[in-house]
Amino acid sequence: MFSLRLALQSVIKEMWMSLLSMLSIGVMLFILVAVAVIVYNVEKLTARLPERLTVMVILKEGVTSEENKAVQAAIKAEPAVKAVTFVSKEKALDELKKSLKKDDFILKGFAENPLFDSFDVKIKSEGVHIDEVKRLIQKIKSMKGVDDVEYGEMLMDSMYALKSGMRALGLSIGIVFVCSVTFICYTTVKILFYRHKEEIEVYKLLGATRWFVRAPFFIEGSIIGILGGVLGSGMLMGFYYYFLRKLVADIPMFTFMSIPLQFLYVLPAVGMFLGLGGSVLALGRLKY
Amino acid sequence: MRGVRDRNTKRRQMIELENVSKTYGGQTALCNISLKVERGDMAFVTGPSGAGKTTLFKLLYLAEKPDEGTITIAGCNAADLKSSSIPLLRRNIGVVFQDFKLLNNKTVYDNIALTLRIRGFMEREIKERVHSVLKMVNLRHKVDNYPLTLSGGEQQRITIARSIVGEPTVMLADEPTGNLDEENEKDIMRIFKQINTKGTTILIATHNRALFENTARKVFFLDGGILKGEEE
Repeated sequence: MFSLRLALQSVIKEMWMSLLSMLSIGVMLFILVAVAVIVYNVEKLTARLPERLTVMVILKEGVTSEENKAVQAAIKAEPAVKAVTFVSKEKALDELKKSLKKDDFILKGFAENPLFDSFDVKIKSEGVHIDEVKRLIQKIKSMKGVDDVEYGEMLMDSMYALKSGMRALGLSIGIVFVCSVTFICYTTVKILFYRHKEEIEVYKLLGATRWFVRAPFFIEGSIIGILGGVLGSGMLMGFYYYFLRKLVADIPMFTFMSIPLQFLYVLPAVGMFLGLGGSVLALGRLKY
Repeated sequence: MRGVRDRNTKRRQMIELENVSKTYGGQTALCNISLKVERGDMAFVTGPSGAGKTTLFKLLYLAEKPDEGTITIAGCNAADLKSSSIPLLRRNIGVVFQDFKLLNNKTVYDNIALTLRIRGFMEREIKERVHSVLKMVNLRHKVDNYPLTLSGGEQQRITIARSIVGEPTVMLADEPTGNLDEENEKDIMRIFKQINTKGTTILIATHNRALFENTARKVFFLDGGILKGEEE
């Protein structure tokens, strides 16, 4: 209790330094969490990609109805597949005409139906990884009677490149900012320690143990970290209410974006952990 | 029989130095010092400035280690102590400094209470003990003052109160009356005698002969880091 009292007294006494440290930590944690939110949303978006994907399995010319049924059954038996629908080349042509509307004269140049019989394959919405989808496509391609498989390969690959890029960026920024926050706490606690050096000398002469001398600084570092985290959470709330909500309301493209509210509770805890870590590092190698 | 007598003699010694030497960068601060202060005694160390009195005290309260020799204080051989045990031994040693070493941002009460808070005493007992020692040094009315609002004599009495509130077995006072007038000097010595009568062993370093003349106390004469003599 005495250590806690000393730590609180010091935070209040060194108010400006503490405030500056808290503010720096708050801003850094906010940026850190903003990057985490972007990574989280890209992950969420790419996780739902297979479900939105329609795989079109084009059948070879002259495939018999038995072969057709066998392919359909083989595809349906795959665990990642939700539904398989047969689309005859006549139906496909009708749909194409409908989609071309007035421009359907393009098709008049063809003497016969240029399209093929095919299957529309829907992928399950949950628990299907993109690698599994790619493996499935390769498997379908190798089936007897299958000519080719088409899916949004380009889009999918770019989304996954974006995902891994964001992951790497998030990780790098995360490491840099975690180190920065720890360094701020380290410097703050070290400065405070040197400011209290004479006081610490007296403590030592009166029989204070290492723990008694260090505990207030550990607590102080943790308090600065927690309050920095609270500031970061406040900024996150502000960002959510005054920016993201309006953005989502005004531009439908961003409707998928969300902020996991757990971040609000996690930030002070992360701040405390980093504050304590910085304090331990600051006092770790000192004689007292 | 002889072994038993030796052991009893050892038990009686509260402070014992055997062939202790200390140098700082080739400069000898103490050379081959041997001295003994018995339990319950009040003794003095005297000598001119630079004689090694402060170095001797630093060795006794374990702020420094000797280059050679052994130091036994309050029954503990300093060389055998782990660094984690030093604070525990220091709780048995009350130290009074010429420059007081009071914390100017804390009240008189908090300065004295610090000794007990370090030892984990409950606030109720701290209050009782602090008021009791303040009564002993006649400064109960200054309990809420800050050190810088007190006179030199009062600050020294607060330092003494802080050093005795934990009831140490040994008390070391380095030039405790160095900056004080004659009246305060007498007052401080009266307090030391009072503490000594309660059984605390006291060693006082001073260059002021008036403090120990005609007191029939043991006096160690230091000069240039060498123990020149011992008188009783």
